[in-house]
Amino acid sequence: MPDADLVRRVLAGDVEAFGVLVARYRPRCARFATHMLGSREDAEEAVQEAFIRAYRALHRCDPERFGAWLFRILANRCRTHRGRRVRRDRLVVADEAAMLGASTRPTTDRAAWREEIARALAQLPADQREAFLLKHVEELSYEEMVERTGAGISALKMRVKRACDRLKIMLSGVIEQ
Amino acid sequence: MSEELDPVVARAVAVLKAEPDFGAGFDRRVMDAVRAEPRPGTVSAWWASLRRPREVSISPLGAFAIAAGLVALMLGSVIVASSWRFGIEQGAGGVASGGGADLRPVQFVLIMPEARTVTLVGDFNDWEPDGLPLQRSAAEGVWSVTVPLAPGRYRYSFVIDGTRWYADPGAPRAIEDDFGRPNSILTVGEQGS
Repeated sequence: MPDADLVRRVLAGDVEAFGVLVARYRPRCARFATHMLGSREDAEEAVQEAFIRAYRALHRCDPERFGAWLFRILANRCRTHRGRRVRRDRLVVADEAAMLGASTRPTTDRAAWREEIARALAQLPADQREAFLLKHVEELSYEEMVERTGAGISALKMRVKRACDRLKIMLSGVIEQ
Repeated sequence: MSEELDPVVARAVAVLKAEPDFGAGFDRRVMDAVRAEPRPGTVSAWWASLRRPREVSISPLGAFAIAAGLVALMLGSVIVASSWRFGIEQGAGGVASGGGADLRPVQFVLIMPEARTVTLVGDFNDWEPDGLPLQRSAAEGVWSVTVPLAPGRYRYSFVIDGTRWYADPGAPRAIEDDFGRPNSILTVGEQGS
């Protein structure tokens, strides 16, 4: 059943139809939030909040564009979570920068390679990470990215390019054998 | 994907495309929470939204501003806000009633003749993408909305035509947003009892 029909059913009182939307969009939302926040725990919380906020505001959603609308809510939740975490880390004086900047080493282990990718991703500025994930992992067009982020196309292109350049530098030394 | 990716980055992208598993209980937890919510768009949902606690960040500077606002209020001012005012009376139509005695009406005004729609997003509405719609007034290009807010410090932005974020030209810019989006800062003071 198309998203629009499910949205209309929810608004008509069939709350269980929202469960279909949750199951449909959870994988992409989980992937984006996990990579944005670098923590599964934070990502689960952000995605859960995004779904609940989407439900509360569903009457303001264009049923034909539910997916884009939900993703924009999620991007905002990730932003809020990140701000919350920055404040929390400041309180505990976590030296994340030092940890992330620790010397990298070549590895043949697949799990370690994944870890290095996550480490490199975490070192990107948040706006570059967001743009990179939306463009290359979620495979959105720049027009769709504008809709989800509120940034202009030229700014988004610049962020994607800088993110790619930095990732290339960071990951070239640890490429899987 | 139209852009050519460096092979190293392309390999990283392939890894990143794997979907993390939130576990079978995730959907159930979401739906348990959703079932406890009133149906969206109903009066009960509107009432629940007014009573729902919101996260507001208050920095030392914000606390100082609130204290300054309190003094100003005791001297007879009505509100401290960092938006353009253009002589529009505070507390004029559109103020939501109910939802707590410490809510203060704050009017947001933007002059943007070329805009087709203007909405307000911020900490106070959890940056919901649809935001709070501003109404076009009789004056050419003047958009405004009045929002009841509890004392505190808020970040906010206008969204023009549903896509373009635009900082309030009459307000201080926020420096905390690391996503490069234009945000402004608003401090609402407490009313003297």
